[in-house]
Amino acid sequence: MSKPTAHTNRAADTPSRPPIGRASLQRDIIIAGVAVAALILLRVIWPSPAITDFTIRVAAYAIFATSLNLLVGYAGMVSFGHGMFFGFGAYCFGLVMQRLALPIPIAILITITATAALALVVGAICIRLKDIYFSFITLAFQMLIYSLIVAWVPLTGGDQGLQGGIPRPSFLGINLATPLHLYIFAIVMLALSLLVMRHIAESSFGYTLRMIRDNMERASFLGINVYLVRLIAFMVAGVFASLGGVVMALFVSGAYPEFSNWTMSGEGIFMIMMGGISTFIGPTAGAIILSLLNDVVTRRTEHHGLALGIVILVFALGLKKGVTDFAADWWRASGDSKGGKQAAEARP
Amino acid sequence: MDLIALANCLVSPSCLVTQTTSGLIIGLLLFLVAAGLTLIFGVLNVVNFAHGSFYMMGAYFAYTVYVFTGSYALAIVGAALGVAVFSIVFERFFMSRVYGGNVLMQLLVCYAFILILDDVVKIVWGPEFKSMGMPDYFRRPPVFIAGGVIPVFYLFLMGMTALIGAGLWLIIGYTRFGKVVRAAAVNPQMVSALGINTGLVFASVFALGGLLAGLAGALAVPVRSLVSGMGFSILIESFIVTVIGGMGSIVGAFVGAILVGMVRSYGSIGFPLFVEGLMFLLMAIILVIKPSGLFGKEA
Amino acid sequence: MLQVNGLSKSFGGVAAISDVTLAFPTGSLTAIIGPNGAGKSTFFNLISGGLIPDTGEVLLDGKNLVGRNRAEIIAAGVGRAFQIAKIFPSLTVEETLLGAIGAHQGHSANLWHRFPLPQTRDNVGRVADMLGLTDKMQVLSANLSHGDHKLLDIALALVLEPRVLLLDEPTAGMGPDERWRMIDRVYQLWETEKTTLVFIEHDMDIVFKIAPSIRVLCYGRVLAEGTPDEIRNSPQVIDAYLGTDHGAHAT
Repeated sequence: MSKPTAHTNRAADTPSRPPIGRASLQRDIIIAGVAVAALILLRVIWPSPAITDFTIRVAAYAIFATSLNLLVGYAGMVSFGHGMFFGFGAYCFGLVMQRLALPIPIAILITITATAALALVVGAICIRLKDIYFSFITLAFQMLIYSLIVAWVPLTGGDQGLQGGIPRPSFLGINLATPLHLYIFAIVMLALSLLVMRHIAESSFGYTLRMIRDNMERASFLGINVYLVRLIAFMVAGVFASLGGVVMALFVSGAYPEFSNWTMSGEGIFMIMMGGISTFIGPTAGAIILSLLNDVVTRRTEHHGLALGIVILVFALGLKKGVTDFAADWWRASGDSKGGKQAAEARP
Repeated sequence: MDLIALANCLVSPSCLVTQTTSGLIIGLLLFLVAAGLTLIFGVLNVVNFAHGSFYMMGAYFAYTVYVFTGSYALAIVGAALGVAVFSIVFERFFMSRVYGGNVLMQLLVCYAFILILDDVVKIVWGPEFKSMGMPDYFRRPPVFIAGGVIPVFYLFLMGMTALIGAGLWLIIGYTRFGKVVRAAAVNPQMVSALGINTGLVFASVFALGGLLAGLAGALAVPVRSLVSGMGFSILIESFIVTVIGGMGSIVGAFVGAILVGMVRSYGSIGFPLFVEGLMFLLMAIILVIKPSGLFGKEA
Repeated sequence: MLQVNGLSKSFGGVAAISDVTLAFPTGSLTAIIGPNGAGKSTFFNLISGGLIPDTGEVLLDGKNLVGRNRAEIIAAGVGRAFQIAKIFPSLTVEETLLGAIGAHQGHSANLWHRFPLPQTRDNVGRVADMLGLTDKMQVLSANLSHGDHKLLDIALALVLEPRVLLLDEPTAGMGPDERWRMIDRVYQLWETEKTTLVFIEHDMDIVFKIAPSIRVLCYGRVLAEGTPDEIRNSPQVIDAYLGTDHGAHAT
């Protein structure tokens, strides 16, 4: 192809994508179902406690990281305080189970409702701010909640965390006190959460988020209620982060202030950056990578911070993109050469 | 919560003097750190999350120089210069590579340095708490005002920060470098348009910020114990200070720092477990009322 | 009919628009001209809800738009395209248009259905065709040429089915040939859509050739209004505008 001269011809050799609307719900459900079945099979073939524990932990982090990416990657809202909802979810669920002795599904519903209410109040204030100021105020609220958890000793156990274990009564024949059931429960929770978040990301609302991320001013001149859309995004992300907290609370049978400390939010950001913010599955990949990294580094050296810090530096200064971003680029490039078939999948 | 204790303190002159002084000391140290943070943000539009680690390094440098030479004056100079040099390296070889891009990348680079420096401190100086103790010439009977106790070192610290503050004011207000810094805070594009070597300016700003953090660390050593990770709480606090005062405003950093110092000092009597929460509450309220901070320019 | 009465706006004591009263009859095509800093873009911003007027009213078919929020003003039928068209770089042309139609039909907060909703597809082809974007539907808008960017911006305004369309310098930043192609499209658009169309333009050749009616703004005030001939022969306009070095063929 000759080099285009007038810029009206430019479209001819620029990246383009096939018509949207290909990523159907059915296809996502099938992928999720296959993944869940494969993970259960893995556990049956290879019943290692280490792998079981690892997977449950990753499931909690992956739900959390994906919910954060709904804000950061899709809506362009860089929250530094997303850990507040993870911690709040864990504490809320733990307290309901300890004090009210309700069935687990009811306790989860209560947690979701309470988190949505918290996210509504915090969000209504935070959303008014943009860019770095939004990041700051979310951090402020997170530390406020962290301080409350540490200070409110009679309720939360203070810096010792929620003591005495979280009761895990059986429901519908599921006994989460057994590792196998907890394992299956965690991956089903992960799969369901990812499915719903994927659906939201691909909904009309999801595209509104992208428009607001790209150009808030122009979006408002389409008559979009930017404040409302951002607030809903904040609430949705908060609710899913709390589900991550629920899984974590069930796993450790407790809740700790660290769940809602700045480090939790920091790790979340690191996960999505490592995994890639431009793909839906990136944060999950990031959760796996960071968990692996943490485990390996902790086992190999006592200088955990030094090793992790160097890895982060190599990543931030060397790679500059998440692993799934590279995969997406490769996919898109190979897709383009075959007529741009798969390219639509890659970018949120 | 112990509001009665707080009320008792507020009506007792000796308690007022003691708490105000200690609030002032906290505030002044914070000001030195926050001034660097806000300066860097004002000129480069970069939030240096590793700034608390600069403070920690200042403290450890000062400690080391003092242990080897026995001179606190040398310790202060050594810490300030040491951290300034380190800041230049940090800026030139690491931060400058992630300017203009994603804020998250800047955050990650700083985060990496926090982790690395904390571990380096553990390796070099050990994981346990260290204490330098008060240099001999400050081991004098404290000053009493209205029954309140003011250690002599506190007076020295106030004098030093006043001096440093004045120096900063002169640099920003009356030098060519200061002019560039003020111009950049208003209009970053203008600086490069004027043909100024931005790399040099950026490195200098980081050096100045590091110098201030190093000074703060050195001045804190006699009254604080040293431990790996000590930079983090001061980072969070100076962060609150800059947000309250307005990102980029040095006057704002001063007012914010004193405010936070007082909240810390009096809050520790009234709400011992919720002092941090109190500060974040203050920050959240100010962000809601005036997102750009008390002295920040409107976004 | 779009009627603006006594509209004023100042920034920090400096009047950008002062006491502007203008009428744009339904279905009319009007050009707004004036030297740089005349307040033309501010005038559009005041009508479309980008800025809130200090005083005055903006009446669209008798309903006052001042004091309403941006979404209400858009719903009332005011559409606009921007001088510097910055759209949604990571979305394709088609996605952008579908998103705009979705917003117009009230689906922007719909979490339940996948994008795009079938009912949003109807109008896309027609609008894309009208603006010559049909073969660029799958191009990311970040990769569009400057001219196509401006066209997409206008298309975005158009899918909101405006009764009044405000175009802020549709030919800004274009070469001479492209300018004429662009303005031809705008003219066709006006003919087929029958909307009230108001556009800001610097190129006097274009203005005098296609606009049946012209309004001249200068230092925030209405200097003259009338047909091209009237404007060409107006002594004030010649004095204040055409006579200066903001020449007739500027930029």
